This record gives sequence, C-alpha cells and structure tokens, in this order.
Amino acid sequence: MASLTSDAEHCQTYNAASFSPIRLPMKLPRVSVAFLVFLLGCLLSTARIVWDAPMPSLQPDSKLGVGRRSDRRFAALRASLPQRGVTGYLGESGAAALGDYYLAQYALAPLVVDHSVNHALVVGNFPSSTGGAPAALPSDHLQLVQDFGDGVLLFANKGAN
Amino acid sequence: MGLILPAVVCFALGFLLVSLGWSRQGSLLPDLLLRASLAVGYGLGVFSVTFFLARVCRVGNLMLVDLLVLGLLTAALLLAARASRAAPGLTGSETRSHTSPAWLQRVLTGAFVIALCGALYSGLLRLRAYPHGDGWDAFAIWNLHARFLFRGGPHWRDGFTALIPWSHPDYPLLLPATIAHFWTYLGRDDPRVPASIGFCFTFATVGVLYSALSILRGRARAMLGASALLATPSFIEQGVWQYADIPLSFFYLATIVLLCLHDEGTWDASSQPTAGLLALGGVAAGFAAWTKNEGVLFLGAIIFARQVISIRDARRASPQRPKIAFTRHSGLLLAGSAPVFLLVIYFKHWIAPPGDLFSDPSSMLHKVLNLTRYGAIINWYVKDFFRFGHWLLIPGSLLLAGVYFVAGIEDRDAARPGFRTSVLALVLTLAGYFAVYLITPYDIYWHLRFSLGRLFLQLWPATVFLSFLRVRGFDRRFAEKA
Repeated sequence: MASLTSDAEHCQTYNAASFSPIRLPMKLPRVSVAFLVFLLGCLLSTARIVWDAPMPSLQPDSKLGVGRRSDRRFAALRASLPQRGVTGYLGESGAAALGDYYLAQYALAPLVVDHSVNHALVVGNFPSSTGGAPAALPSDHLQLVQDFGDGVLLFANKGAN
Repeated sequence: MGLILPAVVCFALGFLLVSLGWSRQGSLLPDLLLRASLAVGYGLGVFSVTFFLARVCRVGNLMLVDLLVLGLLTAALLLAARASRAAPGLTGSETRSHTSPAWLQRVLTGAFVIALCGALYSGLLRLRAYPHGDGWDAFAIWNLHARFLFRGGPHWRDGFTALIPWSHPDYPLLLPATIAHFWTYLGRDDPRVPASIGFCFTFATVGVLYSALSILRGRARAMLGASALLATPSFIEQGVWQYADIPLSFFYLATIVLLCLHDEGTWDASSQPTAGLLALGGVAAGFAAWTKNEGVLFLGAIIFARQVISIRDARRASPQRPKIAFTRHSGLLLAGSAPVFLLVIYFKHWIAPPGDLFSDPSSMLHKVLNLTRYGAIINWYVKDFFRFGHWLLIPGSLLLAGVYFVAGIEDRDAARPGFRTSVLALVLTLAGYFAVYLITPYDIYWHLRFSLGRLFLQLWPATVFLSFLRVRGFDRRFAEKA
C-alpha cells in the first residue's frame, strides 16, 4: 500500500470503526486499494483453478472410472437379474471394497443390493480376482450360478428364506 | 430431440415462475440477467417437483404435465400483468450513483473477465473429464436416487429403503428428480445430464450474485463479488462434480437476494410493497429444503429471523426507520415456501426411512454435555474459516474481511431489514450446523473433516453478496478526484 501513497495528495475516506471522516495521505482512495488487493487475491486463485484443471487430452471418466467399473462390468449380470427386488452382495475386503459395492449398486439400480449374503441371489464382485469364485465362501449354502467374467459372479443361496 | 427441448421447457418454466413474482421496475439488462439466472434454478426446481408429483400420482406422460404447468404459469402471468397495470410495482434502487473511476472500472472488468474465463475453462474441462463427478456423492447418492426414480418406473420407491443407508435415502429429491425428468425426455440415463445440471447451478449462482449486486450497488461491486465466487476453487470444482452444496448455495443466495431487493425497493421508493419478490424468496427457501436437509434449517432460520427483526424494528420505528408490515412479510415467505415444504414433509414422512442424524437419541444428551466436543467444533470452525474454498495463498474469507474493514461500510443506520434478516438467518444456520456436529452419530473429527468446508461453501455466495452490499463503494466525489 505504501507505494500507492503520496504525501502531496490527500483524499477523504472513512474509518470502518468510527464512521467519521478522516483525512489520509493517500493518492488512491482506500476503497480502490482495498478493491485492488481483493482482485489480486482473486486472480491468484483463478490461476490455481486453471492450473488444476484436467488436461484436455485426459480421457473422460479416467479417474474414478464409474462407467468402466460400474455400468460396463455389470451389464451382462444386470440382464440376468430380475427387474426389481433385493439381491445380496459378496465382495472383497479392504478399503477400496466399499467403493466397489457402491458402484455395483449404482449399476444394478433399481434392484436394491444389500451388503449381505442372506438373499436367494447374491452378486459376487471381485475386481482384483483374475478368475472364478474365491476359494473360501462365507456360507456353505452359496453356489455359483454363473461367472460373467471380470470378477463379476452370481451365486444362489440355498439357505436363504 | 436431445437435451435441447427439455432444457428449453425447464428454463421457460423457471422464467415464467420468476416473472410471475417479479414486481420490480428496474433497468432492463441487469433485471433480465437476474431473472434469467434465477430462472435456471427455479426451472430445475419446478422440473423436480413436477417429476416427483407425476411419479406419486402415477402419471406417465411427463411432456403433458410440463405443457400443463407451462400453460397454467402463462395464464397466471397474463392475469397478473393485467392486474399490475393499475398498481405500480417496486422501483429498484439502482438509480443511485455508483460511479467508480474509469481506470478502476477497466481493471475490475479485466479481472472479472479473466476470472470468468478461467472458471469456465476449468469447469468445462472438469465436466468432460469427470462426467460422474470426482467424489462419491454424485453417483452414490444423487445419481443413484435418480436411477431409482427413472429406472424404477412404478416401483421407484424401492430405492428409498433402509437396506442401503449409506446412500442417504432420506435426502430430499430436488437433484435426483430433476435428473430423472431429463432422463425421461432422453429415454436413457445419460451421465451428461447431472454434470450439466451441476455446471448450470454453479454459473447461475454467479449470475444471480453479479446481477443482484449490479442492481443494488453498481457494476464495480458486482464484478468484485462475482470475481470472488469465480475465483473460489472449491466452488467451481464441487459445482461441476455435482455436490448438492452448490445448488443449495444457489437457493440460499436467491432467497436472500429477493429479500434484500424487496426491502431496498420498499425503503427507497416508498412505493406499494408487492408480494411477488417475497413469495419468490419463499419459493427459493422451499427449494433449498427440497435440495438438502440443511435447507430445512435455513428455511426455519430465515422465517424466524424475519420475525425477530420485525419485532425489533416495530419497537424502534421512526421517520428514518419506517415500520414495515413484517408479520405479513414473514407470512409471504412462508406462503411461498409452503408448497415445496409440504412436499418435503410428504417425502420424509411417507417415503423416506428415518435419517441417521437422530439414530441414537440416548447418547445425544451425553454429547451435548461434553465440553470437549464444543472445543473440537470451534477449533474446526476457526481452521476452516481460513481453509475452505482452497484459495491460493490468501484465503477468500480473509480477503473479504480485509476489503470490508479497509474500504469501510456504507452508513450503518441505513442497514435495511432485509440485510439484517439475512445476516441473522446465516448466523442461525451456522449455529444449527454447530448443533448438528454436537449430536452427530459419527466420529466428530471424521464428520468435521469431510463436511465442514462444504457447509461453509453453502453459505459463501450469500456471504459475499451481503458483504458487498455493505462495503463502501465510490460516490461521484471520489470518482472525480480519482
């Protein structure tokens, strides 16, 4: 602010606390200085917005990959399931597994996917697995109905009500 | 047909609704921009309501419903136009001088254009790169609900079940129902629809802020306010990533803008106050409640604040501070919000399972009495005051506070009731958020970490608007000197 001031020129401005007119040795009104500093701050963040923008060459949906990990993976399974109702779910363990479950539900809606094996039909979702059902299943009643590939399976639970 | 037809119908619905309540007679361009910006949000809101009602009433032909609503709104507008010929509407306060030096106008315009281009560039690239958003909220909550509404057909209620509590089936349906409405026109669940809606809400909020400040305080402060919003990285990111906090911030801002416009017009022109702007403000508050649960809190806060200011001003009425029929005004706000709020009640009571917030009432009292929780929340409130928005180097909140104190504020005694009502409503809303953190069933630190910044963002556009409404600008004396 110092570079903008001049002892020779004065202008009237107001102190925010007292609201009484005071005379400050300023070439620019305080309002202008405040507005300019404010704008500078805005432009700095605009630079961040532009800098952080994804590259135009980036493939659409390449980060979360919702379309790839959800709709495309479950397309064949979805066609084999009933149009509505509730189905069970069996997935991997670990931090990322919850996201996989959400993506399965998103793909299979309006079918409700309950995170439990206590249903007549149970969706198996093992995106890390290269082939087939896991060796150890949580229930003896689970029987593989169909392997749709890419870690997507359908089980029948003989013990479910 | 693509997206064009539903987009035109949606905008027309919003524009007709806004025009129906419009009782100002101001200069053409800022008024038109404000009405058009408001129309975006109102149109999307009406789209959600008509879709939801069509689903509830099992009406299959949505285009017919839209045409019916369009016809009704047009007829109401024609009737209102005939009636308004006899009674003059509110005169806006934009006739006051808001001159700023020419060089400053050029600098402000240049900076505003840079901020706008930067935000549009970034927003469009993000829209293209992340059509499903860049977080879980978009597809795991809003778009999932939209799929249940769209794909479920007559069984759309299936999705609002306690079996999938993580999808927050108790969340209101403004966004999901709007998305489903567009999908119904398209005949498929195209991910570009929710992404475009997020984009529209983001930039319509900027439009409302710019045009309202332009009307009330001139172009200089309008460009400053709009630049602040355009330069808030989180605002642009989360808007395009389809977080519902940005549409919510649109409706908070719309409510407050309409309240302030009404009161400023009433105060300055001493003309007959008309119901339209307040009722429109009420509709916006209702849409806020229909967007997110926090909106219900805001709706209560704004009506309560209006009553409190009413009582206070009634006691201090003087020639400089005229007494206005505030009780009637609160009633108009309430009347405007009532139809949509009744829809929220219907949804919460008859369709959605109970929310998770009050899932453990036995521990609430214990939490309220735990002083450590107060300390933790205050600590995060202070930290996020500086952090939210993800600004580069200088936090936006600090910049705003700086400009407020350095430039000074306009004559304090003339703080209009609309301004004071809005400030009180935002403070009450913020206090309400505090109370929610106090009783949250989740780990408090986790909850604060992942939501407080977004809650601040909800209030940010309205805060910027109110700040620049009061920040001192230039009068002719300064312009001539400079």
